[in-house]
Amino acid sequence: MSAAATEQDGARRPGACAVTRLGADGAALVVEDLSVGYHQKDGGVLRVVANVDLKLFPGQVLGLAGESGCGKSTAALAAVGYRHPGGIILSGRSTLGDTELLQMRPSDVRLLWGGQVAYISQNAGMSLNPALTIRRHFDEVLRRHAGLSGAQATARELELLKSVQLPDPKGVLLRYPHQLSGGQQQRVSLALAFACRPAVLILDEPTTGLDVTTQTYITALLQTLIAETHVAVMYVSHDLALLSTVSNDVAVMYAGEMVERGPVETMVKAPLHPYTNALLRAVPSARARQSIAGIAGEPPVSVCDDSCSFAPRCLYAEDRCRNEHPESRQIEPLRTSRCFRTEELREDLHIVVDIDRRVSPGQAGAVEEQSLSLLEVDGVSCFYGSRKRRFAAVRDVSFRLADAEVLGIVGLSGSGKSTLLRAIVGILDDYTGAISLRGDKLAHRAVKRPRPVRRQVQIVFQDPASSLNPRHTVSQIIGRAIRLFREDVPHDKTADAVAELLESVKLSRSFLQRYPSELSGGQQQRVAIARAFAARPSLLLCDEVTSALDVSVAATIIELLRDLTSRSGTAVLFVSHDLAVVRTLADRAIVMRDGKICEQGSTEKLFCAPEHPYTIELLASIPDIADVRAGRRLHPEGAPSC
Amino acid sequence: MSTVEQVTATLPAPEARRQSLWRAVLRTSEGKIGIGLGAFMIGLIVLGQLLGPATDYNVAAPGSGSSAAHWFGTDALGRDVMSRFLAGGSTVLLIPLVAVTLSLIIGGSLGLFGAYWGGRPDVVISKAFDVILTLPPLLIVLVIIGGLGSSNTVLIITVALVYAPGMGRVVRGTAQSVIVNPYVLSAQARGERDLSIIFREVLPNVTGPTLAEFGLRLTYGILFVATLSFLGLGVQPPASDWGLMVAENRGLITVAPWGTMLPALGITALAVAFNLSADALSRVLAGDDLSRLAMI
Repeated sequence: MSAAATEQDGARRPGACAVTRLGADGAALVVEDLSVGYHQKDGGVLRVVANVDLKLFPGQVLGLAGESGCGKSTAALAAVGYRHPGGIILSGRSTLGDTELLQMRPSDVRLLWGGQVAYISQNAGMSLNPALTIRRHFDEVLRRHAGLSGAQATARELELLKSVQLPDPKGVLLRYPHQLSGGQQQRVSLALAFACRPAVLILDEPTTGLDVTTQTYITALLQTLIAETHVAVMYVSHDLALLSTVSNDVAVMYAGEMVERGPVETMVKAPLHPYTNALLRAVPSARARQSIAGIAGEPPVSVCDDSCSFAPRCLYAEDRCRNEHPESRQIEPLRTSRCFRTEELREDLHIVVDIDRRVSPGQAGAVEEQSLSLLEVDGVSCFYGSRKRRFAAVRDVSFRLADAEVLGIVGLSGSGKSTLLRAIVGILDDYTGAISLRGDKLAHRAVKRPRPVRRQVQIVFQDPASSLNPRHTVSQIIGRAIRLFREDVPHDKTADAVAELLESVKLSRSFLQRYPSELSGGQQQRVAIARAFAARPSLLLCDEVTSALDVSVAATIIELLRDLTSRSGTAVLFVSHDLAVVRTLADRAIVMRDGKICEQGSTEKLFCAPEHPYTIELLASIPDIADVRAGRRLHPEGAPSC
Repeated sequence: MSTVEQVTATLPAPEARRQSLWRAVLRTSEGKIGIGLGAFMIGLIVLGQLLGPATDYNVAAPGSGSSAAHWFGTDALGRDVMSRFLAGGSTVLLIPLVAVTLSLIIGGSLGLFGAYWGGRPDVVISKAFDVILTLPPLLIVLVIIGGLGSSNTVLIITVALVYAPGMGRVVRGTAQSVIVNPYVLSAQARGERDLSIIFREVLPNVTGPTLAEFGLRLTYGILFVATLSFLGLGVQPPASDWGLMVAENRGLITVAPWGTMLPALGITALAVAFNLSADALSRVLAGDDLSRLAMI
């Protein structure tokens, strides 16, 4: 406890933040054998993190990767002494300098948080108190951990806000969190985290939910700050593309255990563990039209002790994997893997970039040849608000879509891409211009359109959880669409037709009587897709359908969409902010900004030889795994060539 | 590490996890006490109706204490307190029940349609609610009963009118958060009729909070109707009604306390029973969402 006392004294000394002494090998934080569990209603303990070993070095970023529910955030927070309500630390040590964090009293650990240990969460807007001004947020941290107040504090606050490149720092200090944009809020959180020159920084998906261009600025800023302050960083994210561009080392977690750890450059090319391989193969790239493969199934909810936890989903599993639990082994000086077959599989696990040369039935170029296109959007402007205060979300947009063609629309949030979809599907009243399906002008509201017309245009939404009625079973949800649009299916055959549709989205009959809350996100999205295909549409509208899903699940949904649409000859209008997904799926793409079309063309042309400056900026800003493989990191200035 | 439970990868079968609302409510302690007490009181009231009111007026000295013949004594007119108590529960329970149900139907449907249609109809409906809510309930009741005289029908309609805006606001608020969901948009995109969307997509998702509000309103309703009877605006003599009994016997509270205590206890028990049940219901409904967040 004497070490803690010294830290406290240091923390109270005015004007200076405590300096952490480093461990023997220069590590800022050493986590050994960390296991975390949750108390359960029946009195048992659910183990969600097991035997995690980590080392964070000053100025270095350790990425923590894995699907949702694999214990990444729990492990990261437990490493700095935080327990979720109901959570308990079952074993382990975590040493910050010479302080043992897990043995400290909660009140003592709290003195370190915000000072030597900083944390940035996913949603900056939620982590700032809406009732306090930005100044109050800083005052609290600076007074408590650095003993600063008055003019000294103000000077430091302005300095910090300048360092995160916020314009008008004086003005920002007086504002409340809601008066700042999402990107600005995240900058404030960054400045707060760096306020006391922390030794350790935990980042939990800090840029998820931000637009890609904002994400790039924040990431670049973060890298500058890390280089300047030499903080040791743990970066938690499910986004491998992003993680690979910001981290030095990556640790991959699965079912609460670390399955692979090593330097990022080698890992993205030649992973050692089949799970890492599977994760990497699910990541799409905007630089080339790669084939991607999802991971079937879901991670277990807790640690498995009697087998390899990944065995049920592993392509390379053998009997031994199902009966014995593998230990983490050192394969190379800096690389570990928790797999029995690492040595024999090494060659097989190399990532081979496979260019997807499949051509969809309505390939690019077909539009010009067709005299009558499937969908024609002509000078459409969409509006929100009342008559007096009308706001144009989409301005004078025109494009055509051929039968069986896959057209992607990319743009940041607020670019009007989703609004456009709503106008097409008939749930937006206020728009001007004409939308025609096979030459016939569509009525504004779907109710006013004849049933055969309605049948042809179907939509799938972003959030699968809220696009299915929680009070209806899967069978009711899909059955309703069949009853409305499929006259060829007699009443007593509805259940069979539903089961058939479920099978086409690779769900078994056992899902018929389930409610949406009993399905995983990926399964819910499959049901939503099955409902859309129940009508046998000729045009499928997809509104960010993969954005709410994990990369591994998103890849399976993309594969499924590709398979279903090319088999049925359905045209797809695919709206997404994710350029890599659009590149993977679409034949042609449109780039939108502020409700207007910037550029359109075939995906090959648009992504490899963009002409519009905005397209170039967008392409340059995205973190892409192909760049890391080619030895390049983020490109804030210019788009890399294909 | 022996306490650590090994859980396999698969979740329990959905049938096992799915439980009826009813069972979940009964699992909470509020639910157990509330529904148990409620069942007992309703049983008592039904029993009282089956036995019928005692016909023997003036059989004993007025205002006598408890005795072997009259367990809870007699009232000011010498009537048996227990007999009148058993007979007098029906109005205390039924008038609020019918009135609150009526307020749910009127207020709920106005709120539901207002939320779905939005725009001008919604403004008119919510402003109407607001106007009624600004008036003190007792004033409304005084005016209506003063004008029309008191009868069970007038009482029911008045109480329903007083409670309709509150019910309507709860339904409207819940419905507003439901209709922005993509599953409602999805139904609109399928070209479903408004009524079909309201009944198939929206209504099932507002029942939970509405039910909880219904239980709470019922508690208020019981107290309100009992208060009206006590003040002489509700059930009229010679009918036996708990609120009325409290009023009639309050002069004798020092001599024959059961005449006021027993009906007062009855009212309290009913109110507490419904209140606890409503609490249990809202707790279960709130926990329904929490349990999904509780995992990792």
